[in-house]
Amino acid sequence: MLTEIREGKTLNPVIKHITQEKINLYAEASGDFNPIHIDESFAAKTPLGGTIAHGMLNLAYVSEMMASAFGRSWLSEGKLRAKFKEPARPGDTLTINGKINCVEQKDAVSYANCIFECLNQKGETIVTGETIVKLPSDKE
Amino acid sequence: MPVKTVSYEELIPGYKFPPATYELSASLVSKYLNAVDSAGDGFVPPLAITACAIAAMTGSLSLPSGAMVIHASQELEFFKLVPIGTTIECHTGVAQKITRGKMSVLILELEVLDKGKEKVQSGRATIALPS
Repeated sequence: MLTEIREGKTLNPVIKHITQEKINLYAEASGDFNPIHIDESFAAKTPLGGTIAHGMLNLAYVSEMMASAFGRSWLSEGKLRAKFKEPARPGDTLTINGKINCVEQKDAVSYANCIFECLNQKGETIVTGETIVKLPSDKE
Repeated sequence: MPVKTVSYEELIPGYKFPPATYELSASLVSKYLNAVDSAGDGFVPPLAITACAIAAMTGSLSLPSGAMVIHASQELEFFKLVPIGTTIECHTGVAQKITRGKMSVLILELEVLDKGKEKVQSGRATIALPS
C-alpha cells in the first residue's frame, strides 16, 4: 500500500513475462478461446502473424498494480479506462508503470487520478489509460 | 439446455445477451489468480468478474469461422468488495454498432449484480471485427 498519496507519486511497477502457457491458462480461466489467442497456426495466417495475449490479461496486471497501491479502495470503488495500442505476444516482458496524476476533492471526498502505461521489452506501448480511486477518509 | 447463439447480424444496438449467473467459488478465483500470476487478497479480483461478464457474451456469440476480434478499449467501474463465494448475475448488451468498410466496431455494455441485486460492476468494451 502507498504510504503517501500525492501528485506525481509513482506506483510500484508490475513486471510480467508473457508465455503461450499463461495465455492458454487465461483462456481456460476466462472462457475466452478466441483462436487469435490460442491457435498458433490460425494466428500465424492473420495480419497479426501470431498469437497475442488477451487484452483483459494485460488489464489484470494493471489491476494488480492498483490493488497493491490502494488496497480495498481499488477493489471496491475503482474506475479504469484503457486503450489497447499494440498486442502483447508470447515472449514479451511487460512492465506496467503508473503514477498519481492528481488528487481531487469532490463533495468532501478525495480521489486519486492515476495514469498508467504498459510497455513491452522494446519500450513499445501496449496499453495506456487512467484510473480513479476514491480515497478513504480519515475516519475510515 | 443448449446455449442459444446469436449471429453477428443480430447484434444491433439495444440487443441484450442472455443474462448469465456465476458462482465465484474459491476454485474459480484460484484458477483465475493462477492464470494472471497473482497472489490475490482474499476478495474476488474485479477483473475476474469482468472476465465472467465477457464470457457471458462470447459464450452465446456465433461469429464467422476464422473471424478475428480485436479488443480496442475497455472502461470499468467497481462498486463494492466481492467476497469469494458470491453469486453474480451478468447483464450484457450492444450499445452501438458502427460499420466502416469491411470492419465493424461494436460497443458492448456490461452490468454485474450480486444476489441482492446490488450493482457490483459496470463497464463498456469496444471491439473491432470483420463485418
